[in-house]
Amino acid sequence: MLSKIWSLIVKEFIHLRADWWLPAFMLLGGVSELLLVGWATSRPITNLPFMVLDHDRSRASRELILDLENTGTFQRAVLAPDLEAVREAMDRGEVNAAVVIPEDFSEALNDPQGRATLPVFLNGAESIPANTALRAVEGVTREIDEDIIASRLSLPQERWESFDPSLRVWFNESLSEALYTTPAELALMLEFTVLLFAALSFARERELGTLEQLLVMPFSTLELIVGKSIPVALIGFADFLLMLAMVHFAFSVPVRGSLALLLVLALGYLFVELSKGLVISVIARTQHQAFLLVMLVGMADFMFTGYAAPVESMPEALQLFANLVPAHHWLEIVRGILLKGAGMEVLWPHVAALAVLGAVIGAFSLRFVRRALN
Amino acid sequence: MSPRHVWAVTRKEIAHILRDRMTFSLVLLVPVVLLLLMAYALTVELQHIPIVVLDRDRSAVSRAFVQGITAGDDLDLYAQVEAMDEIESLLVRGEVKAAVVIAPDFGRQLRGLQGIPLQVIIDGTEPESGWFAVDHIIQRAEAFVLERLTPELRSRGASAAALEPIELRLRTWYNPGLEPRVDLVPGLISLVMGLPAISVALALAHEREHGTLEQLMVTPVSRLELIVGKMLPYLFVGLGDVLLLPAVARLWLDVPFHGSFPLFFVLSAVFLFSILSLGIVLGVFIRTQAAALALGFLIILFPGFFLTGIFFPIASMPEVVRLEALALPGTHYAIITRGLFLTGVGMDVLWPYAVMTFGLGLVFTVVAALFFRKRLD
Repeated sequence: MLSKIWSLIVKEFIHLRADWWLPAFMLLGGVSELLLVGWATSRPITNLPFMVLDHDRSRASRELILDLENTGTFQRAVLAPDLEAVREAMDRGEVNAAVVIPEDFSEALNDPQGRATLPVFLNGAESIPANTALRAVEGVTREIDEDIIASRLSLPQERWESFDPSLRVWFNESLSEALYTTPAELALMLEFTVLLFAALSFARERELGTLEQLLVMPFSTLELIVGKSIPVALIGFADFLLMLAMVHFAFSVPVRGSLALLLVLALGYLFVELSKGLVISVIARTQHQAFLLVMLVGMADFMFTGYAAPVESMPEALQLFANLVPAHHWLEIVRGILLKGAGMEVLWPHVAALAVLGAVIGAFSLRFVRRALN
Repeated sequence: MSPRHVWAVTRKEIAHILRDRMTFSLVLLVPVVLLLLMAYALTVELQHIPIVVLDRDRSAVSRAFVQGITAGDDLDLYAQVEAMDEIESLLVRGEVKAAVVIAPDFGRQLRGLQGIPLQVIIDGTEPESGWFAVDHIIQRAEAFVLERLTPELRSRGASAAALEPIELRLRTWYNPGLEPRVDLVPGLISLVMGLPAISVALALAHEREHGTLEQLMVTPVSRLELIVGKMLPYLFVGLGDVLLLPAVARLWLDVPFHGSFPLFFVLSAVFLFSILSLGIVLGVFIRTQAAALALGFLIILFPGFFLTGIFFPIASMPEVVRLEALALPGTHYAIITRGLFLTGVGMDVLWPYAVMTFGLGLVFTVVAALFFRKRLD
C-alpha cells in the first residue's frame, strides 16, 4: 500500500513540476500576499485630507488647526473660502472631514462663562476614516477643554490629569497594529491555501477525464485519497512555515508560546481543512465550480473567525454556530500561542474542539469521498 | 476585427456556460451571496463585550460605578474577581477583552475630587473590542466625575457652559448615522464584481489545459477577436450582477441609491471590461486553472479587498502601495459606486475615475493581445 501511495505522490509532484507556476505561487504567493496585506493593514489611519473654514482667524483658531494637523490623523489643512467649497470637496470625495471655526470662537473661549460651537462635517461615504477623523477632533478639543476649564476654575493642571484612568495594553504593549492583524492573516492564509488546492485535486482529474483512468488502476480509494492529500498537506505546511517566518522577521510578531505546539496544531488544523477541501473536490464537477464553492465556504468561515467582527457581539445562535467553525478555534490558537504565550493548559478547549470537529469532518469526508469515487 | 468571428467565439463560450448550469448559477450568484455575507459580518455592531472587574474599594461609590459601566448592552460583566492573576488568566483565555481595576481609595478620592484611581487593561490581540471598552469606560468615568463635580463647581459660580467650553456640532453628510453598512456595501460591490474576471481567466486556462486553444488558433479568428469573444459572455453574466447587486443592496440591506442608475449601469460595464481584461491577462500567462486561481487570488481578490480603499483609506497607504492601488480598476470603481450610491454625483465628478478605469482596461487588453501570440509560438 505504501509503495502505491508513494507512486501517486510522485505523480502529483510530476504534475506540479510540469506547471511550476502552481507550487511557486502556493509557496511564494501566500508569503508575498501576506507581506503586502500586512504592510497595508498594519498601519494606523493617517494622512486624511481635511478642510478648515476659519471665520475667526485668531490665535486660538490657528492653534486649533495646528493641533489638528499635529495629531497625524490629518494632512495639512486645506483652507476653504466658504461653505460651498466644503460641500463641493465633500461631493468629490476629496476630503474626509471639515471643521468650521465660527467668528466668535476665541471670544467665547476667553469669556469665563462662554461656550464656542464648533461645526464638524464628516464625509459619511467613507465611514471608517470619518470615525477616525471624529475621534481625532474630539481628542484635540478635549485637551483644549481641559486646559480652559482648569484655568477658568483655577485648578492645577495635574489635578485634572488624575481624572484620566490609566490604561495598559497586554500582549501588545507597543500597540503595534501588525501584532493583531498579521497573526490572523497568517491563520486565514493557511486555511485558504489548503482548502483551495484540496478542492482542486479530484475536480481537476474529473474535468480532464483522468479520474476514470486512476480509478481503473489497482489503487484503492483510500490510497487515492491519501496520495492526493499528502502533496497538498506538504505544500500547505511548507507555506505555513514560510509565512510564519515572514510575520516573525518582517513584522516582529513574537512566538511567546511553544513553537513545537503551534506546528503540531497547524498540521492538525491543516488536515481538517484538507478534509473539507476534498469534499468540495468531489462535489464540484469542474475546477471552476470548485473555486466558486471554496469562495462560499471560505468566506462563510472567515465571518465567524472573530477577525472580521467579535463573535461576542453576534446573536446567540450565530455564536453557537461559530464554535462549529474550525477556523474560529484555529485563530484563537494562533493568537494564543504567538501573542499570549498560552500553552495547552489554556488552549485545551480550542484544541479539543478542533480535534472533535476534525474527527467528525474527517470521517465524513473519507466516507463521502470514497462513496463519490466508487 | 470581424463581428461575425467575435460572435462565433462568444456563442461557443455561451454554449459552454449554458451546458454547465451549475457553474453558470454559481458565477451569477456567488457575488450576491458574498455581498450579503460580508455586509452582515463586517458590520456587526460592537456590543456585549465581556469585561472583568477587580474592585479593591468595595464602597458604595465603586459599586455604583461598576453598575454604571455595565448597565447598557455595550459591556457585559463577565466576572468580579479578587486578584490580579485571575484577570490575567481570563485575558489569556480570551474570555474577557478588558479588565477594570479599581484602587482601594477610589470612593474616597472621588468624593474629595482628587482623581479617579482606575486602571483599564485591554487585550492587545483584539484591540478593537478593547478600545471600544476603554472609550465606553472613559465616557462613563467622565460623566461620573462631572456628576459629582457639578455641585462643587456650581458653588464656585461656574455655569454648565463653563464646563464644556467647546461644543462639537456634528453634521454627517451622505450617511447620517455613520452606519458602516451604508458605505461598505457599495465598496463591497466593487469587490465582488471582480469575481467574473477570475472566471474568465479560468475559462482561458481551461482551453489551454484541454489543448483546445491550439484548435481555436488555427481557425480564422484573430487574437483580439478571440479575447473579445471570450470576454463577452462573462460581461453579460457580470451585467446580470450589475442589476442584482444594487437591488439586493437597496431592498435587502437598506442602502440608499442617490445617483443615476443608467450611469451606474454604463460605468459598471466599463469596469467589467477593465477587470475582465485583467482576467484575460492572467489567462494568457498561465497554463493551468489552478495557477489561474492562485494568480486570481493574488492579483484580483486580495488587493481588491485590502488595497482599493474599501476598508483602509488610500491616503494613509505608503507611497508604493498607493501607486499599486491606483493601477487597480477596483480602486476607481469603488469611488464610482460610493459616489453613485451615497453622494449622488454625476459624470462631472466621476469622469476622471471612469477614464482611469477604461484606460486600465485598454492597457490590459493590449498586453493580453501582445503576449497571447508570443505564448503560442
